[in-house]
Amino acid sequence: MKLFSKLFHQFILRHLVRERMRSIATIIGIALGIAVVLAIQMTNASSLRGFEKAIETVSGRTSLEVVGTGLGLDEGVVTSLGWLRSYGQVAPIIEGEAEARAADGRRETLRVLGVDILKDRSFREYNLLEFGAAEPTPQEFLELLIDPKAVVITEKFARRWGLKTGDEIELTFADRATRYRIRGLLLDEGPARAVDGNFALMDIAAAQWALGRLGRLDRLDVLLGDRKSLDQAEEEIRRRLPPGLKVQRPARRGAQVEKMLEAFHFNLAALSYIALLVGLFLIYNTVSISVITRREEIGTLRAVGVTRGRILGLFLAEAAGLAVIGCGLGLGLARGLSYGAVRLTATTVQSLYIATAATPEPLGMRQVLLAFGIGLPLALLAAALPALEAARVAPMAAMRGHDRLASRYRLKPILLLGPLVLFGLAWWMAGQPPVQGLPLFAYGSAVSIVFGAALLAPAVLYGLGRIGDRVLFKLFRVEGRLANANLAGSIPRLSISVAALAVSLSMMVAIAVMIGSFRETVIYWVGQTLQADLYLRPATRNNVATDAPFSPEVEQIVAGHPEVAAVDRFRNFDLAYADGLVTIGTGEFQTLLNYGSLQFKEPAEPEAGREAMRRAIGQEAVVVSESFALKFAKQRGDAVTLDTPRGSVVFRIAAIYYDYSSDRGILVMDRGTFNRYWGEPQATSLTVYLRDGADPDRVRDQLLARFGDQYRVFVFTNKTLREEVLRIFDSTFSITYALEVIAIFVAILGVASTLLTLILERRRELSILRLVGADYRQVRKMVLIEAGMIGAVSQAIGLLIGLLLSLLLIYVINVQSFGWTIQFHLPTGFLIQSSILILIATVLAGLYPARAASRLPATEQMAEE
Amino acid sequence: MKRLLAATILILIGLSLTPAQSDPWQRALPPFKFDFARDHSSHPDYKIEWWYYTGNLQTADGRRFGYQLTFFRVGIDFQPANPSRWAVRDLYTAHFAVSDLDRDNFRHAERMNRAGVGWAGADEKSYRVWNEDWEARHDPEGHHLLRASDATMAIELDLAPGKAPVIQGENGVSQKGDAPGNASHYYSLTRMPTRGTIIIDGQPIEVTGESWMDHEFGTSFLEPGQIGWDWLSIQLEDGTDLMLYQFRRADGKTDPHSNGMLVGTRGETSRLTSDQFTLTPLEFWDSPTSRARYPITWKIEIPGRGVVMTARAAIRDQELQTNESTRVTYWEGAITLEGSHRGRGYLEMTGYAGAAMGAFNN
Repeated sequence: MKLFSKLFHQFILRHLVRERMRSIATIIGIALGIAVVLAIQMTNASSLRGFEKAIETVSGRTSLEVVGTGLGLDEGVVTSLGWLRSYGQVAPIIEGEAEARAADGRRETLRVLGVDILKDRSFREYNLLEFGAAEPTPQEFLELLIDPKAVVITEKFARRWGLKTGDEIELTFADRATRYRIRGLLLDEGPARAVDGNFALMDIAAAQWALGRLGRLDRLDVLLGDRKSLDQAEEEIRRRLPPGLKVQRPARRGAQVEKMLEAFHFNLAALSYIALLVGLFLIYNTVSISVITRREEIGTLRAVGVTRGRILGLFLAEAAGLAVIGCGLGLGLARGLSYGAVRLTATTVQSLYIATAATPEPLGMRQVLLAFGIGLPLALLAAALPALEAARVAPMAAMRGHDRLASRYRLKPILLLGPLVLFGLAWWMAGQPPVQGLPLFAYGSAVSIVFGAALLAPAVLYGLGRIGDRVLFKLFRVEGRLANANLAGSIPRLSISVAALAVSLSMMVAIAVMIGSFRETVIYWVGQTLQADLYLRPATRNNVATDAPFSPEVEQIVAGHPEVAAVDRFRNFDLAYADGLVTIGTGEFQTLLNYGSLQFKEPAEPEAGREAMRRAIGQEAVVVSESFALKFAKQRGDAVTLDTPRGSVVFRIAAIYYDYSSDRGILVMDRGTFNRYWGEPQATSLTVYLRDGADPDRVRDQLLARFGDQYRVFVFTNKTLREEVLRIFDSTFSITYALEVIAIFVAILGVASTLLTLILERRRELSILRLVGADYRQVRKMVLIEAGMIGAVSQAIGLLIGLLLSLLLIYVINVQSFGWTIQFHLPTGFLIQSSILILIATVLAGLYPARAASRLPATEQMAEE
Repeated sequence: MKRLLAATILILIGLSLTPAQSDPWQRALPPFKFDFARDHSSHPDYKIEWWYYTGNLQTADGRRFGYQLTFFRVGIDFQPANPSRWAVRDLYTAHFAVSDLDRDNFRHAERMNRAGVGWAGADEKSYRVWNEDWEARHDPEGHHLLRASDATMAIELDLAPGKAPVIQGENGVSQKGDAPGNASHYYSLTRMPTRGTIIIDGQPIEVTGESWMDHEFGTSFLEPGQIGWDWLSIQLEDGTDLMLYQFRRADGKTDPHSNGMLVGTRGETSRLTSDQFTLTPLEFWDSPTSRARYPITWKIEIPGRGVVMTARAAIRDQELQTNESTRVTYWEGAITLEGSHRGRGYLEMTGYAGAAMGAFNN
């Protein structure tokens, strides 16, 4: 052991210190890779945890909850549930969102809980600042809440907004802005802790009125007496409930949301591993170069009796050392990155999925274990190949230099076999179905392509070396020729850096192509589908799950405008389906047929689609989004069984349409059909068609003027809605680009460190060049050309492989994760721009090595020799 | 006038909860003609209303019980602006107590609810008042059916009307103060033959006995300067029923509004003024929880009628603490009477614990 540590010190550590640029680059690479993986993991956890924590804190001691199907419980049905009380206490709940608006225009969303405080005290903890340690009696509490314009907010929020008890606060529920009186401040306990203090407590009657939910409850919370077990009570209640009602545990809602976010999170996580992958290439690179440059020393060590195992151990220890430092640094970086990632994903999560105050999870033991658990083994795996090669070095041959790498690289045909096998494997995996809704095989396929491309790097470099000479001479004269010769002479070393860079570039290309295609598809879809002139939604309706219907007054104002030809009142809400949630929507099919247009997938012929839709009117039929059909493997004509307030009902799929607004699956039915099961729907969005010649902007301004301060409504014209759609689209993918930039940065770091190594190795040659009259500027130029060539080759490979990967992303991964058909589209402009940027970036990365090379004074170099 | 406890509770609720507005509630003004059975039911135009049952029951082998079941309604907002069914027009409270006299055991429970989706309420057309699963209603024969249960106790009783309703006050109006309308409409059923089941710790026990019911509704009851009162309802073995009450004033004097009433075997009534009877405390009990000191034995003297009796609490601890609703603490329990006449009854004492009655004085 003592010998080993001495050897490690002499042989590895010294070397690492001498080659500190490369060591540092490697460590940074690992650190960034680990940091990105952790940051994404923490971000994903935070959006989910934020939501689950909110459910948990708000549900308090609730053991079971009775919920309806989508639109809450009809009060008429609740009247017949008196028997529930024999199981324990029962409390009615209204839960929703309100937007608080300050005089200075500041706006924040509050989670509003409407309770019957006479019933609620056993369920939840409410401690009011005004009462200090003494809890108010239920009656005292009721006094605070009984006014329909009374609200209790949290001390935390009040402090942030400079509010106190007795002040007024403007709250907007759906589209209605009203001034409320703050009647008390909740201390930071119980439900007040939900969503970071953005919580408001109201009387159930006030909340019902404010949220426009007269006549229904969102749920009944049940607190079991201790006489029955939870399972037994749940089962008994389930059996006794009338159709249309369900009993579940509060955590169930969290599980449904988790299911809904699963695909989004999975793909984000997969993306984050790219940076780590590139970091691992750096480890491989570093250890490989260590081995290659010290074959003679290894031979000597072997000759003096150091065993193969010990040589293997030495190099693995080197990798482990680098990885441990990298992982440690990565942990530190992850916290900062996660804040950025949360900011970048918050818009997506909130506009497409759930409202949650996302703050990243603090760094815990879990992250430490994850960092070292992933980083260390993978680093050792990456180092294993070169380390094994080191262990195989024959002692005498290496010492004599017989074993030296041939200065001219000869391409062995066997090297082409590896990539071929990997590409074949990739092809096969791309054809496999998803595993539990997740595209595991498809990602396996992507990994195969990436490794295949990496193995292809030497062959490409070899090919390039053969044709590069003449081209480069023409372009850059003698420096170009020298650069080409240098590259051709160090293919084994370079190919690793090239592979690393090419891999990360290919990912970028693939993602760019995928996003570009997706964006074009959405633009086309928006153009086809968004035909109306104006779109309205209530101010607090931040995502499709928000139950915030319009006021009748607003609808009247809109319908009464002289230039309005038709209004399609659309309503949607979440419904539990399978293990997750789907969206049920309802509108006026006839209006849509007359004025609007949907893009149908099945039947593909537009007229046939419209006909299918027309025939669905009045029937037990639904038109479903493509993502619903793909997710649940449904075809046109299939049956879908939905839980309705009138029990389970079978609906037939009349048509499948393209939709890119949400990946959760949408089922749309005609108003008449909907009415039979859920009753008259309140609209949550209005689609307005104007008379010919009307100016949408003018009508919009007129409507907004009519709404005044009393109603807060977002009115989009066709043009601004399209912009809004693309704004959300682009913000969704901002995280993708951020992850990519990090991966490329790591890869370019690898190029710089490799070049530096090569320069140091070629000190002798460079000195001779200087001696024979090369100007230091010429040396610098030569090195910069080499850097540029590496960039160009990597980008070329990256482009090709990237296109392959983009096909995989578009046609397999996206379809399996989200159920979207994307039309292939090449974002040529972006690709050209990024190629030029990469070239410039690699040339810049060559600056430091070039300076180092040009500064080598000729005489000193020779003297040393 | 009697059962001022109810008034206190309701006023405590009403004062704090009623929104500031011109008073739309109907006042109790003479003349008022009672119409039974209509007037057993709820009178939502009046702000305050209660139905109060107490009774002494026993099993065939002589095991004795007392019970109290009270329903309160207090109007909060005559016409709520909010159309929600959960908007609080009235607030409903109920108290339920069972005294297991031979085992010296007293249990009580309370309920407080808004009407909501019918979780509490009082019908206008026919007599039915309820709070969750506690209920009092008429059956087709005009019997009062009572039902209440809590974790460890329950009652299910059938009360025959017994004697005709005794209408308190004059012209159908029981005057509370000097101002007109500061009054209530008030009647009592003083001796209701009762039979049914008491369930103690899951064990059903068949009982029979006699109950006393009061029903009162009005809008304004306030009378300043009173700190509490002692109120007795007594069913004598000779078939006579007796009600006595006295106010205790802050200045220590007996209030001239103290009053009494005798109900003969055929329901004929005669009033007793405060100078026609005396109530003297003989023995006290200190509540370990509320620290209140209650006189639990009283000497009752009605010189003009030859009555000299001792009223003694059947068990000492029959104190109710209503922590879930109004936090009013009072003593209400079964008593036995000995002396010139023998009988059973109920005693209610308020204003002994805390400052609960203070609110009454504003």
